[in-house]
Amino acid sequence: MESLYPFLYADQGQSVDAVLAEVRRSTAEKAVEIVALREEVATRYAGQLLACASEMAAAFAGGGRLFAFGNGGSSTDAQTVSSLFMAPPRGRPLPAFSLTADVATVTALSNDVGFEVVFARQIAAFGRAGDIAIGLSTSGGSANVLRAFDEAGRRGLMTVGLAGYHGGKMAEADTIDHLFVIPSSSVHRIQEAQTTVYHVLWELTQRALERTAVAGTPGPS
Amino acid sequence: MAQPVTVEDRAAVDECFLRRTEAGRLLAADAERVARACHDMAVRFHSGGRLIVFGNGGCSADAQHLAVEFVHPVIVGKRALPAFSLTNDVATLTGIARSQGFDEVYAHQLRYVGVGTDIALGISPDGHCANVLRGLEEAAGLGMLTIALVGGDGGPIAAHPVVRHALIAHSADAEVVKEVHVTMYHVLWELVHVFFEQPGVLAPEVIR
Repeated sequence: MESLYPFLYADQGQSVDAVLAEVRRSTAEKAVEIVALREEVATRYAGQLLACASEMAAAFAGGGRLFAFGNGGSSTDAQTVSSLFMAPPRGRPLPAFSLTADVATVTALSNDVGFEVVFARQIAAFGRAGDIAIGLSTSGGSANVLRAFDEAGRRGLMTVGLAGYHGGKMAEADTIDHLFVIPSSSVHRIQEAQTTVYHVLWELTQRALERTAVAGTPGPS
Repeated sequence: MAQPVTVEDRAAVDECFLRRTEAGRLLAADAERVARACHDMAVRFHSGGRLIVFGNGGCSADAQHLAVEFVHPVIVGKRALPAFSLTNDVATLTGIARSQGFDEVYAHQLRYVGVGTDIALGISPDGHCANVLRGLEEAAGLGMLTIALVGGDGGPIAAHPVVRHALIAHSADAEVVKEVHVTMYHVLWELVHVFFEQPGVLAPEVIR
């Protein structure tokens, strides 16, 4: 923190106004930072977002369900993903589950087997070919997220990964069909841009489903 | 199988991202409001207050995210600060909804677990969530510091006199609002710690 706010640490007797001024400056800087990061993500991934959403729409059209998972802040993203698909503000509700929501299941698996299997075992229980698995990890290295992708890959689920930094172990995994790596080293900015990625994926999936419905056919295969 | 990407498809993606840019930039213009809210939060934490967070739907996930941010900081070495969300306990939530109605789910919990030194932070995409407003009213009545993260034009929540700090994400799109809220609460966490490390600015004589 000291390196980020050197001015504040030069003298411990700062006035409220001086600290407020620094805090204002920092807020404005972060706003600029995330806007630039989103632009970078748009440039890097526009085509892949379209391709991924088109496959997700096809999976839903074929009766697939979505399973979302992640740890800590990313568990709240998993819940946002499932509620966005399931109870959308507009568009078509689609079947979606968050694998972090059931505390009985999560604690049972952690207690009896280990935390690294909490998502994989649920994918094994619920997942079937044609479903969609979406896993989020800011570092790209969460062991239980990687294990879930292994299980999903084995069972023929479509797999979507959201990571940060350089993608970590998720970038090395051959079990993730679509991987979106947010090029930042700030956990906070990574999470903010990941939120945009899954919102855009949801919106493009809805758009793809609408277009298929209008066309009245599943489209060229 | 995936269909070929058309010019129209590409324009749809570009529009999605473009819709976010203005709202993201406008947060910088609200830096003063954010800074003031951080200062008041830091003063509360310093005098033993806890942060209590609540919201519906996607905002309930934000409430939980905000709480874990303070309790288990991502930056190693930052101290844990007490924070919890009122959306985790499904038994309590549905129990209150059944007996008193959904509008009371947060107000009831605040009445029994909140104390005057605490901070209540309600999240609503458009400022129209009745139960979030009821929670903030109850909290203000107890003497808690009240903060609202809202979107759109702020709605009745931002306009209500019981809300001390209303931070508005300037977009009518609920998903864009959420994205700005995530940045807002990340900044709130980080900057509360900046104040926290300057004990001189956390004068205990006034709890605001």
